[in-house]
Amino acid sequence: MALEILAYKCRKCGDLHYPLRMVCKKCGKNEPHEFDTVPLPKRGKLLTFTTVHNLPPDFKVAKLNLGIVELENGMRITGQLKIPAPKMGMPVTGKVEIVREADYSKNYGIVFYPA
Amino acid sequence: MREVYVVGIGITSFTRLEYPLSEIAAYPAMVALKDAGLSKVDHVYVANMASARLNHQSGLASAVVDSLSLTPAGATTIENGPASGGSAILQGFLGIASGMFDVALVTGAERLREVNNLEATEVVAALAHPLAEQIYGVTLPSLAAMFTRLYMQKYGVTERHLGMVAVKNHDNALDNFYAHLHEKITIEGILDSPEASTNNPYVAEPLRFFDCCPVSDGGACVILASKEVAQKLGKPMIRLAGVGQATDTHCVHERAEPTDLLAVRGAAEQAYKMSGLTPSHVHVAELHDAFTILEIAESEEVGFFKKGEGHLALERGETRLNGKLPINTSGGLKAKGHPVGATGIGQAHEIVLQLRGEAGKRQVKEAQVGFTCNFGGFGNNVVCLIFKRED
Repeated sequence: MALEILAYKCRKCGDLHYPLRMVCKKCGKNEPHEFDTVPLPKRGKLLTFTTVHNLPPDFKVAKLNLGIVELENGMRITGQLKIPAPKMGMPVTGKVEIVREADYSKNYGIVFYPA
Repeated sequence: MREVYVVGIGITSFTRLEYPLSEIAAYPAMVALKDAGLSKVDHVYVANMASARLNHQSGLASAVVDSLSLTPAGATTIENGPASGGSAILQGFLGIASGMFDVALVTGAERLREVNNLEATEVVAALAHPLAEQIYGVTLPSLAAMFTRLYMQKYGVTERHLGMVAVKNHDNALDNFYAHLHEKITIEGILDSPEASTNNPYVAEPLRFFDCCPVSDGGACVILASKEVAQKLGKPMIRLAGVGQATDTHCVHERAEPTDLLAVRGAAEQAYKMSGLTPSHVHVAELHDAFTILEIAESEEVGFFKKGEGHLALERGETRLNGKLPINTSGGLKAKGHPVGATGIGQAHEIVLQLRGEAGKRQVKEAQVGFTCNFGGFGNNVVCLIFKRED
């Protein structure tokens, strides 16, 4: 099964959130944990991006592309880009991969490629 | 609510300081107490962001109040990211305004140079969302960079405009003894010359080295008091006439319009409302230019210029020391420096100097109303303050 990034759907009003929050931003009426999980779409367009040259010391690369992507359902997500020459507005598609590794932990997150 | 006045100010150089954090907080407090002519206070507020992680010290206020021999006065440490300083002033304001205290000492300090610049960047990156931003390597410069790219596309801001902010603020800092960077820079040197890419490399594209504030140690203090106490002390009557604070989404990607800074707009509106003043009354302002783009964007959100036109006012020279509305006369975070917990108090220090007419070569003529914007996270927690000279 492919790994997914989950959005959180309010059981009271149906509004979608990413990442998880305790209270729905739209209706503000849910009880704790009253959200259903729904996989986020993986395709979208690149809203903005940067190439970071001064990464935290645990990153073993000299630079990294990061971006914010507007997904097909209108939601947005921050992720890493494996795109050599990113352009604003370009179509992209995401995969869930290891994005940051420490000694005893592996963090999975979304990595976008040209669509 | 009672009226609140600034009766004393103090500051250290913003630079690399080789003495303990509690002393960096206590030294400007001593200067401020001397300035005010006070030896006792009712409460001590200490603003700091990262002492537990950087300096192996928690409960900083307890150390500072004792070091100053001000015990048994109450003491509280305030951690609110880069807006810690402004937040501490707001708490001191509430203490005096409510009538609970007559004198509140508000000091701030940070010792970031205990670690190297990449580690310092990582400590500051802890402000970002742990699961939706931090895991990807998001740093504050990277959030500012993505914001800048949208601003450039939407409003026509260019690298040259960003460079103009840096040149202006470096120029202002040349006349500020306490500034971190005393270094004249030019557009040619940072953008146009063949050496520009070496002088001014990218940090997070399109932001370059000279678009980012330095990593500074430093401390700053203001002492707030009731009108009765202020009148007795006989210093120029500088009233903290308006305070405001507002927040925005933790994740930058969740904002409906990603080029808006709604927390800046909200905090400024509250401060104007309380003071009964408007942007057109402001004579001098300190804005939170941790990145050059922020001076431009904040100058719009606090109402000095229309949205999308801050860079045009900059081009016309309106924000220079001799312009219509001088911004960051101290050198700003860009050149005065950014000792995170002390920054908001450092901004207030500059405004009080200006309103007292004690700013020396960088004095704005007949300044009566001053404004500060202290920006926490990437715009998710913002404090704005308005100061007014009354005598």
